[in-house]
Amino acid sequence: MKQLLWLGGFLVLVVVGDRLGGHLLAGLTQRSEFRYSRLYTGRAAADVMVLGNSRGLAFYQPHIEEMTGLKVINLSYNGLPVDLAAALVRDYYDHYPAPGKIIIDVSLCDRFDPQLVMNFSPYLPYSTRIDSLIRQADPQIRGGLHLSHLFRYNSEVFQRALYYQDRTDQHWVVERQLSNTEANSIRDDYEFIIYYPEEAPDILGELVRFCQAKGSEVQLVLGPYFPAFAAKMTNLRSFIQDIETASGLPVNDFSTALRDISLFADFQHLNKAGSVIFVDSLLQRKIVVRK
Amino acid sequence: MVFNSLPFLVFLMAFLPIYFLLGGKKRLWWCLAASYFFYGWWDWRFLGLIIFSTIVDFAIGGRMAATTQADTRKQLLWLSVAINLGVLGFFKYFNFFADSLQQAIAPFGWELSWHTLHIILPVGISFYTFQSMSYTIDIYRKDLEPEPSFLRFATYIAFFPQLVAGPIVRAREFLPQLRKDHNFDWNNFYLGAAQILWGFFKKVAIADTLALFVDQCFEAPHHYGALHLTIGVFFYAFQIYCDFSGYSDIAIGLARMMGFRFPENFRTPYFSRDFSEFWTRWHITLSSWLRDYLYISLGGNRKGYWKTLRNLMLTMLLGGLWHGAGWTFVFWGFLHGLYLMLQRILSPAWQKLHRSLYTPSWLYNGMNIAIVFLLTCLAWVFFRSPDFGRAMTLLERIVSLEGFNRASVINKFAVIQGFLLIGMLLSVEVLGLTINYSRKIIYQPVFRAFSFAALLWLIALFGTFGATAFIYFQF
Repeated sequence: MKQLLWLGGFLVLVVVGDRLGGHLLAGLTQRSEFRYSRLYTGRAAADVMVLGNSRGLAFYQPHIEEMTGLKVINLSYNGLPVDLAAALVRDYYDHYPAPGKIIIDVSLCDRFDPQLVMNFSPYLPYSTRIDSLIRQADPQIRGGLHLSHLFRYNSEVFQRALYYQDRTDQHWVVERQLSNTEANSIRDDYEFIIYYPEEAPDILGELVRFCQAKGSEVQLVLGPYFPAFAAKMTNLRSFIQDIETASGLPVNDFSTALRDISLFADFQHLNKAGSVIFVDSLLQRKIVVRK
Repeated sequence: MVFNSLPFLVFLMAFLPIYFLLGGKKRLWWCLAASYFFYGWWDWRFLGLIIFSTIVDFAIGGRMAATTQADTRKQLLWLSVAINLGVLGFFKYFNFFADSLQQAIAPFGWELSWHTLHIILPVGISFYTFQSMSYTIDIYRKDLEPEPSFLRFATYIAFFPQLVAGPIVRAREFLPQLRKDHNFDWNNFYLGAAQILWGFFKKVAIADTLALFVDQCFEAPHHYGALHLTIGVFFYAFQIYCDFSGYSDIAIGLARMMGFRFPENFRTPYFSRDFSEFWTRWHITLSSWLRDYLYISLGGNRKGYWKTLRNLMLTMLLGGLWHGAGWTFVFWGFLHGLYLMLQRILSPAWQKLHRSLYTPSWLYNGMNIAIVFLLTCLAWVFFRSPDFGRAMTLLERIVSLEGFNRASVINKFAVIQGFLLIGMLLSVEVLGLTINYSRKIIYQPVFRAFSFAALLWLIALFGTFGATAFIYFQF
């Protein structure tokens, strides 16, 4: 009997601790300055929205804001897949007036990533779209997320929300520079084929039409790659063509626009100096315009 | 079936109540059937191999005990060793030796006409083969009486908690336990559950989380800077430790729940002050197996200085080969052999230096622990790398110090989380070393409830889910 009482008490302790911990971490997530926390708590209204994966994250902000004087919200995330990006954008439109312009770095069409979708679980209570994507990705994990509230915060996205408790995430740029050894090592790599999911361009196309219908101007951009790496991307042209066909918009292709090694952090990312020059070329091509 | 999967949870919930309801032979039958089901879940065709090993060693053990003639006993022993190593050699090493031979003769313009076979490595074959062999060797040495019951012997070989990745339990330790009926005992249940939870935490929260970072480093080291790769190697040291010791903890905990005691398999190995100590703390059941059945058989340290060094090297080379059919594993064994040899050669001078400098013992011990850990990490590079080329690239990049700065570290959040988890692990291990909490505190019901709950919360917060296999399954 004593043992059964202990078991009962233990189960109560587990559940109560889980709910209390979940409540505490939900509060931290809400208060964070992280972009998705601001998105879901009414603090993300902007004139320009940037959307992309790590390339979207590293290339555009904060220089667009500095150079144009426009308020920018960057919803990019490392490896952000287009289906999750579409859910985030639609959630944005649910809560805010349509931004004047949306810049989408189309490299986010290169994958679906169920693992990353599940990483957005801290925002599960705010978004039925995220909930449904998690259900598609892994019904068992979704069950676990409803069973344990602490489990919702088992995510890199939450760790970032924690990191940005009292600091802005809008100044994020990559500081490092590609070394000559690293640059030369590209010779050891095989060709790089973008194995993008067939449906990805269509999802992007639907998103483009949705944003246009809401009154936003959409600009599709493909940012620069390190030239020796871009040369190994054998299906880049057909990738761009598929996106243009699905979206009905031209892709502003900057994939080989920058050549100087000092502008790159690695093969796929510009560093701070590269980002400034890239945003400048966006201004010259009038993809973004000053206020 | 892996421990960190839903099917195993269902299996265990069905197995345990019936296990405690049954007694005597029925319980043994139930254990054996469940163990074969557990193994067959992976691939039922390879059950035949376990049954074959079981029949061979049971029969040979019986015959060996029945004869007093030394020659016959020796012949039977060699027969058992040849059959066991033959099966292991064919399934695990055939392609390795065939490839190596082809590569060795290729420079002379010769070509062999055979091709490598598509052989699937049966999970756990290295573990149950060694376990089975120890039975006949012990009978030969007259350290063990043969087991009269085939059912009990078969249950010993196939017992599911330790079947696929150890600990390697000796017949003389486990067969006597199988002769008793173990009734349900709350204390065993609590202690077993605690060890299982701790094992799960180590596997799911630490090893699998570190693996995400580590895999990138070893797959394409030329893409990363020196600091990133150094962290990758450091993380791997803890990944493999938590993965394997986590499995052992779960196995030992499961056995404990059923009333059995398995030997300890890891004892805070990264706090070792020399390599001899390391091998009494890391994969204890394998290293003691190699010591008792290989090192001592070769003469151990009784045949003079140079032969002792030779025996150390041979034992570690074979230990490396046991882990995997690849030259990187052999080289890993070679490095550990070399460490043990150098320790024997250099430690008198090192100790003398310590005494002459009046180094405080905490500093001396700390330096020794650091040296052992760093050299162990160096050896892990070869153990983990898919080939020598990548191992050398990784080491060259670390030694060059190119990119040894914070900016070159990609995914800093994974790094912070990794260090946090390793910090938790080491804190618990240091606590375990300094206070005997297992006796004093763990019996307090409130402490038990909070520590169990805390582990569950930590697993929920940090676990990586998706039933990833344990590293040692491939060995």
